[in-house]
Amino acid sequence: MKTAGIIIVLLAGALLLYATRDFPPWGALDSPASTHVSPRYLQKAMEETAVPNVVTAVLADYRGFDTMFETTVIFCAGIGCFILLRVFRQRPGDRYYRHIATEITLHIKGGRIPKKSSEFERIDALWTPYDLIIKTVCRILVPFIQLFALYVIAHGHHSPGGGFQGGVILGASVILLAISHNMRTAIDRFSEKTNNLLMAIGVFIYTGIGTVCILLGAGFLDYRSLSAVLFVDKIMARSHGIFGVEIGVGITVMAVMISIYNNLASAGKQDEGL
Amino acid sequence: MNDHTPALLIILPLLFAFMVSGMAWIKKSLCYPLAVAGSGLCAFFSIRVFTHVLRHGTMQYSLGGWEAPWGIGYHVDLLNGVVLVAVSVLAFINMIATRKAAAIQFPEKEGAFYALYLLFIVGLVGIVATGDLFNLYVLLEVASLTSYALIALGEGRAPLSSLNYLYMGTIGGCFYLLGVGYLYIMTGSLNMADVASLLRPLYESGAIWVAFTFCMVGIGVKMAFFPLHVWLPNAYTYAPSAVSSLIAPLMTKVMVYVMIRLMISVFCVDFAFSVLDLGSAMVWLSILAIVMGAALALAQKNLKRLFCYIIVSEIGYMVGGAWLGNAAGMTGAILHILNDALMTICLFLAAGTIHYRINNLDLDHLQGLFGRMPVTMACLVAAGLSIIGVPPTCGFFSKWYLITGALQAGQYGFMAALLFSSLVNVILFFRVFEIGYYGDPGHGHMHGSSPETRTEAPAAMLAPLLILSAGLVVMGVFTGSIVAAVIDPIIPAGLAR
Repeated sequence: MKTAGIIIVLLAGALLLYATRDFPPWGALDSPASTHVSPRYLQKAMEETAVPNVVTAVLADYRGFDTMFETTVIFCAGIGCFILLRVFRQRPGDRYYRHIATEITLHIKGGRIPKKSSEFERIDALWTPYDLIIKTVCRILVPFIQLFALYVIAHGHHSPGGGFQGGVILGASVILLAISHNMRTAIDRFSEKTNNLLMAIGVFIYTGIGTVCILLGAGFLDYRSLSAVLFVDKIMARSHGIFGVEIGVGITVMAVMISIYNNLASAGKQDEGL
Repeated sequence: MNDHTPALLIILPLLFAFMVSGMAWIKKSLCYPLAVAGSGLCAFFSIRVFTHVLRHGTMQYSLGGWEAPWGIGYHVDLLNGVVLVAVSVLAFINMIATRKAAAIQFPEKEGAFYALYLLFIVGLVGIVATGDLFNLYVLLEVASLTSYALIALGEGRAPLSSLNYLYMGTIGGCFYLLGVGYLYIMTGSLNMADVASLLRPLYESGAIWVAFTFCMVGIGVKMAFFPLHVWLPNAYTYAPSAVSSLIAPLMTKVMVYVMIRLMISVFCVDFAFSVLDLGSAMVWLSILAIVMGAALALAQKNLKRLFCYIIVSEIGYMVGGAWLGNAAGMTGAILHILNDALMTICLFLAAGTIHYRINNLDLDHLQGLFGRMPVTMACLVAAGLSIIGVPPTCGFFSKWYLITGALQAGQYGFMAALLFSSLVNVILFFRVFEIGYYGDPGHGHMHGSSPETRTEAPAAMLAPLLILSAGLVVMGVFTGSIVAAVIDPIIPAGLAR
């Protein structure tokens, strides 16, 4: 079986290599890939969409419909992890509480979950004592990470970046909080409900902008029609439309990252993480 | 640019999917109505698009306002129009029929379940409507990813078989993408019509046939064409019943559509049949698929698993028909996409209904089922007769076209395989009927109720099943007009009549 697999892989690889014989020379100016559709992207992207970064213009405008579904794929991944992993009705298992004043740890098996009190704090099974350096550094770092993420999203028009990258960085800031403190701290600040709603809202913004274009009388995702509500000319409207969908992408990617991390790290209990 | 229906039929279910997923956290009871609305709108607009295409011809739609080779274009002709209607209407009926089963299986995650359900429909509908090779891949990802998640929701070995499907499906997707990548290098375009016109002078190039092979192998994995079918039986057997009656009829048929689309609109028939001359090789492979699918089905002891192997064999019918290289074969293949989707959804819905009552689909648990669930079993009989190919059910007519095509092409092996598989289907179904009719109900493992009591499923599940079974006969009766109005005009001129 194993040898058969290797033979098939070699065969497929050989076939792919054989086909490269007929390819146009590497980097040739007259190759079909650089003469058919790309000249227009390279030469006209700026005047047609007012976006200096050609990659962004192709990604979010010329082929923006594909990107909408790429975002949907990420959304599917988040919802898929949620539906497969999340456990709602869990039997109360072993839990640990620490009396803050005396530092005595209580081990509770089963039973009801006690209400929150100021005297006891819930701790993870693998609890390590409070680490001043890690927690302080991470707390200071989180806002800067988020600021950088917003910059990456907003600056996608001019430099590499955009919704996907910015969204991942935003998600990383919340995940850092969950790793450096514990998962409950992160969930207290960023609840599961908010996160799951944001997951849907992000893609909804993307699709919604496209639908607004239909309502304004143009085709789906034809941002030009947004000029009527944004009070800019049609070219700038394309640029602003791209910015709108990038924000949507950013929100969904962030929420999906957080949701996947929380569900994977806590085996669906959203209780104790790594 | 005033008619937005081709775009709306994809955008509306997409918007509703996001709403359903958000609503799960606000007001749970609204999830199901929203999902039904999304799926219903999709079906409504598909029918609108199809009737428009019937009356006025092909519909084009440029997304983002960019004309075709630069932007992404939708291109709906009769072939995808009719598949669109089949996919969206069957998905809608299945959503209504499986409401109760789904509510029991996923009480807390109904929102997420229906969001995935709608996204799966979006994926399939998008694959069918699009006129862009890469857009097709992206939507294939949406459809595949949602189907992995939905299948893994089942019990027992479902997660494992879904993982297996994920590996195979991802490899299939990669193969398709590699093929598209090679096509892009050679032509510089991704739009199907544009690629087709640019390919003509390149037919002799090795890179093109490698691209073709990779696309076909990738699609072959996704449609479970015989040696590449190993993921299918487990995945569809262990999936929850509401899911298997959604995915089993639609996913594989849509992939057959993609194969036919690539054959007739991207690579064109001259390339497939004259330049590569793959016709008889592919027909022999499908003979293998038909015979092996039928033989493996004989060995099964579980109703759903048995149906899964019937799918493997039916895929052989369609692939073989498309590759016969004549008009009758292609007509049979396209007609069989529609008929087989209808027959398979009947089979799997009936199995789901039985599972709803009996909770076990092993053949020896079906004893005395005709007495207990007469209506469900009547529908199963109708679907079974159609699979066997008994007139006036629709299965007879597509098989008739396929056999005519085989005779015209001189492929007697294919004809023999079709007849062999029909005979095997007779054995399979009459064994099921025998157990259900003559089997001693007291002998089996009963669950509480006495054997004589009727434990028919609720009317909400039976009504859709009855409508679909009636559809089997209606499709059969109207075969002539469907072929004349829909299928004849799309048969490419290059095929022998």
